[in-house]
Amino acid sequence: MIAVTIGTVIRSRLDTRSPEYHENLAAMQALWDGVATELASVPTIGGQRYVDRHRTRGKMLVRERIEALVDPDTPFLELSPLAGWGTQDPVGVGSCTGIGIVEGVECAISGSDMTYRGGSGNPTTWKKGSRFHEIARENRLPVIVLNESAGADLPRQADLFIQGGASFKDLTQLSKLGIPSITMAFGPNTAGGAYTPGMSDYTVFVKDRGTAYLGGPPLVKMAIDEIVDEETLGGAEMHSRTSGLSDYLAVDEMDAIRITRGIVRHLRWSKLGPGATEPDDPPLYDPAELLGCASADVRIPFDIREVLARLLDGSRFEEFKPLYGDKLVCGWGSIHGFPVGILGNNGILFSEEASKGAQFIQLCNKRDIPLAFLHNITGFMVGSKAEQGGIIRNGAKLINAVSNSTVPHFNLMVGASYGAGNYGMAGKAYNPRVIFTWPNHRVAVMGPKQLAGVMEIVARNAAAGRGMEVDEEALAAQTAGLEAQIEHESTALYSTGRLWDDGIIHPADSRTVMGMALSAVHSNVVRGATEYGVWRH
Amino acid sequence: MTEPTDVRPITRLLIANRGEIAVRIARTAHRLGIDTVGVYSDPDANALHVDSVDVAVALGGSTPAESYLRGDAIIDAALATGADAIHPGYGFLAENAAFAQAVIDAGLVWVGPTPEQVTLLGDKVAAKRAALEAGVSTTSMIEVVDGRVADGVEVTYPALVKAAAGGGGRGMRVVRSADELDDAVAGASREALAAFGDGSVFIEPYLERGRHVEVQIFGDRYGNVVHLGERECSIQRRNQKVIEESPSAGISPEVRNELCAGAVALARHVGYQGAGTVEFMVGADDLGEPTITFLEVNTRLQVEHPVTEAVTGLDLVELQLRVAAGEPLPITQDDVSIDGHAIEVRIVAEDPAAGWMPSTGRIGRFTIGQHGSDPSCPVRVDTGVRDGAEISSDYDSLVAKVIVHAPTRAEAARRLARTLRGSQITGIRTNIDSLVAILGEADYLAADTPTAYLDEHPDVLTSTGPTGDDRVALLLGAVFALEAERRSGDRATGFAPSGWRNLRTQGQRQVWVEPDGTGVPVEYVMNPQPVADGATLWQASVLVGPWPEPDDSGALGPDERVERHVRMLDREPQGAAIEIDGRRHRVATEVVHHAIGRDDDGVGAVTVHVSSAAGFLSLLLTPRFALHDAQADGGGGPVCPLPGTVIAVHVAAGDSVTDGQVLMVVEAMKMEHKILAVGDAVVAEVRFQVGDRVDQGDLLVALDHGEEAS
Repeated sequence: MIAVTIGTVIRSRLDTRSPEYHENLAAMQALWDGVATELASVPTIGGQRYVDRHRTRGKMLVRERIEALVDPDTPFLELSPLAGWGTQDPVGVGSCTGIGIVEGVECAISGSDMTYRGGSGNPTTWKKGSRFHEIARENRLPVIVLNESAGADLPRQADLFIQGGASFKDLTQLSKLGIPSITMAFGPNTAGGAYTPGMSDYTVFVKDRGTAYLGGPPLVKMAIDEIVDEETLGGAEMHSRTSGLSDYLAVDEMDAIRITRGIVRHLRWSKLGPGATEPDDPPLYDPAELLGCASADVRIPFDIREVLARLLDGSRFEEFKPLYGDKLVCGWGSIHGFPVGILGNNGILFSEEASKGAQFIQLCNKRDIPLAFLHNITGFMVGSKAEQGGIIRNGAKLINAVSNSTVPHFNLMVGASYGAGNYGMAGKAYNPRVIFTWPNHRVAVMGPKQLAGVMEIVARNAAAGRGMEVDEEALAAQTAGLEAQIEHESTALYSTGRLWDDGIIHPADSRTVMGMALSAVHSNVVRGATEYGVWRH
Repeated sequence: MTEPTDVRPITRLLIANRGEIAVRIARTAHRLGIDTVGVYSDPDANALHVDSVDVAVALGGSTPAESYLRGDAIIDAALATGADAIHPGYGFLAENAAFAQAVIDAGLVWVGPTPEQVTLLGDKVAAKRAALEAGVSTTSMIEVVDGRVADGVEVTYPALVKAAAGGGGRGMRVVRSADELDDAVAGASREALAAFGDGSVFIEPYLERGRHVEVQIFGDRYGNVVHLGERECSIQRRNQKVIEESPSAGISPEVRNELCAGAVALARHVGYQGAGTVEFMVGADDLGEPTITFLEVNTRLQVEHPVTEAVTGLDLVELQLRVAAGEPLPITQDDVSIDGHAIEVRIVAEDPAAGWMPSTGRIGRFTIGQHGSDPSCPVRVDTGVRDGAEISSDYDSLVAKVIVHAPTRAEAARRLARTLRGSQITGIRTNIDSLVAILGEADYLAADTPTAYLDEHPDVLTSTGPTGDDRVALLLGAVFALEAERRSGDRATGFAPSGWRNLRTQGQRQVWVEPDGTGVPVEYVMNPQPVADGATLWQASVLVGPWPEPDDSGALGPDERVERHVRMLDREPQGAAIEIDGRRHRVATEVVHHAIGRDDDGVGAVTVHVSSAAGFLSLLLTPRFALHDAQADGGGGPVCPLPGTVIAVHVAAGDSVTDGQVLMVVEAMKMEHKILAVGDAVVAEVRFQVGDRVDQGDLLVALDHGEEAS
């Protein structure tokens, strides 16, 4: 039988033998190498001394536990591995979250890294955890927590205490939605951390290792002058036999993981989305070339179809309105068999592009097709002609559409994402299900040069208004400094460090990552919107 | 030649045996237009030998005494099914004169020598007397009467004390000096009495480094006798033959003539009828001159008869049936010529490395010489088993005989080794690896093969098959067969590259267990690459050997593994072409899931049977998780890794044990598994005793790790 497929084959025009391609490829590789170096530091970010001490206790590192948990040979997509980069919190923020396959079920998996400050939570840890719960909730993924934490990083309590409590609310609300949570206690679950098992549907405590108490022996002594040992206060045996907090007592870490896998088996979990419906044949062009497709320098334009030719099944794409608003490429294709509506930038947004995008989003909502936004956008068109042509009115249509669309949205950051273009392309503030970023990505209200230039004009105007001479030297230094600051704050690493995305990926992995994300969203219902805000026609 | 008298053509033959010999006899009978009747015990009800006959009669029972040794029931079966003759095969009732007489008395043809000949030759003392009378060249015999050697008789040492009855090495003692003699005689006599009900023994000179050479004889009732040349059967374990060949490569033409002439003379002397084997030990005296000792006459078809058939082109069962029917021998000595060289190996369900411990169980797959075999160079396989056959401890451990006939001995050995390397017998342990090792061993190839060969070459017994990269290829065949199965079973993310990570800290880690219990850790990272036309290049980085484990300080030890670059040039459900650092190996694989459940929750287990031109290996994947019973009183403790039997218990309740101490030994799949304490603890309860059956996952020894356990 010949499969009836969507679209026609994109013919690549990229000359992968040209010097320009190789120059760009080398620049992209250098950007990726920088990311890879950061990634390599994460698993032992707690420092060799603490890693070794952890191991002398017969304990596995958090990623070793996850390796033991997931089904052999299955993929694991780690989320926000570089969260905290460029902040005062450690890279990776002392936790590991991701989507993995346990007993054939896509689960949201989170574990704490005991080797960094005793697994205690810092402000970015809570942000990463909050995003983790959001992904679990929106995609209806069973949650597995590999817990071991001293609680809050006390010196940093001011920045996390108030909002941190939401994680316990998240767990019970997941439970209310029918999304199960399983917490394994590998070590201490102290104070607020005790509510992580407390709020979970299922708990597994490791004998002689897992503990949970609101106050540890020193605090109990301080508060009520009771002298008590850890096991009596909150040991695994006590919680399994006396308090009832522990549902399963495990002999050791591997046993806890075995028990957890058994719990997942009895969930008899089934996905609610239709799943992959299209043929899953590889692109005609090598996805490895994605690294060289996008411009390392976001100021150099490239054809988004070159990305699509290496991202979509069989390089097939059915382009919508190809002759209208051609700087926003819209159309249908599939990734690993999952149908997807694509919106990709081939330049800035004009009125035509904005209204075309709004129409396309509505069509995909009628058809229940998830949307992938491939960002390479420097913003909406400005100037009197654009304004008079109704760029705000048309842009409003696009933002109305992306705001009220209910099919899953994905962001793949293949280049710049500046200004309101980020909003029109359903950026972070518009709750996409996942955002993955290529290392060349730049994100800001506008490009560094433009921003610094705007500020320079503002400064000159202000000086002129006050009738003052411009100190050219000081202004030049100020402009250069501002440009450098914005440049730094626009990078992919800066963005991922602040959880503006869910991780920087190697471009060649885009099909795998998008496939896993698409598969995960099909755990939940995939249903389009029927209602929107008032359209400004 | 005398005119034939009283010829009673056989039209329907009852085969009073099982296994390969029953199958083999039926084959010739059918070729001669003779219908066949089989018999079977309960466990053999669906055995190959039962399907190889036209009709079969149930004997019931399972032990030989309950089934194949029930002479009355067998004669009744013959009469009831209209059989006119009984062929006893070998073993069971083949050398039972009373049974032979009962067959004749029932009016049936007995395929074998007369009961009188069976009786006479079954007594080794009487047989040796007859041999001496017939002028067979042999060393002397010293008779023992009432436990004593007659006065004045000189015993030369070393000497061998042997039982007059029975065989198989029981009731046998080597004596090196006079002061050992009385004890040896008493011991051998006691053993013979217990084993055969007859304690009589005799003494003959013991030949150091002697060879076992035997002559196939045939006689008919008209006094015609021929020999069909000799066989050498020196490769023996515990007096049981393992490899046999014809002709012998270790004797001179003069010795050959002497043996054959002696055998014929003895046959004529007793008027021998049918197939028989005259066995000799051939040694050398101090001057290197050959010394011959007559051993005994076996009054039946021998297990190793196929090598004689190969070099003579004769069908010995056909000759047996014709002679038994009263026909004269259709050949004269002049018709017998020896062509080339034939070697037979016996594949037995035993583990040579474990002292030839018998192995029982169900055979999964049984194929001989499939891998790379050339149909133009056939090998002969005589067997009574097939896929799914059960090997029980009730019967002989012989699984199959493989016979190769070639122009030269060297070529026969090479072809036989290739055939064995391409064979697969799963579910039980066999001696195939040892057979391959012997067939390639220098002394064997130089025909320096005394009966002590295996004692002199212990290495061949511990051979575990392919080595080096050949073995790595088999391991990786197993690894990636399972990997492919698992990937195709991933319904959620089957599209993703195998084991894909965006932040990788390790590869896929597994420990495979070889048949001898050796654990082989392997770690791999797949890096599949799409290539032209939607195909995939399967490539992986592989590390074989133990991954670094933390030492006492928690630091990981050095990684001594060497990275291997592996490509799978071709992948199919039943195998792959695996390239390891640029060298290609074709492997065939079969993934077997043992029990309901999954391997990785500790319930089920996975074995992969894998073969290549280099050999065959069954590898068991260590389950990722052991089953524990933490809720049990006394807490944790070691659980049984595989279903088996407790063969030793080293601790008792209340004992303090330290980490790594052996608590118990469980024999499972014929392997001894040491059950170790994990962590220091006190034994709370020993849950099983020696001899108990234990199941996978059973808590064997409950350990109390105490409050301070770590």
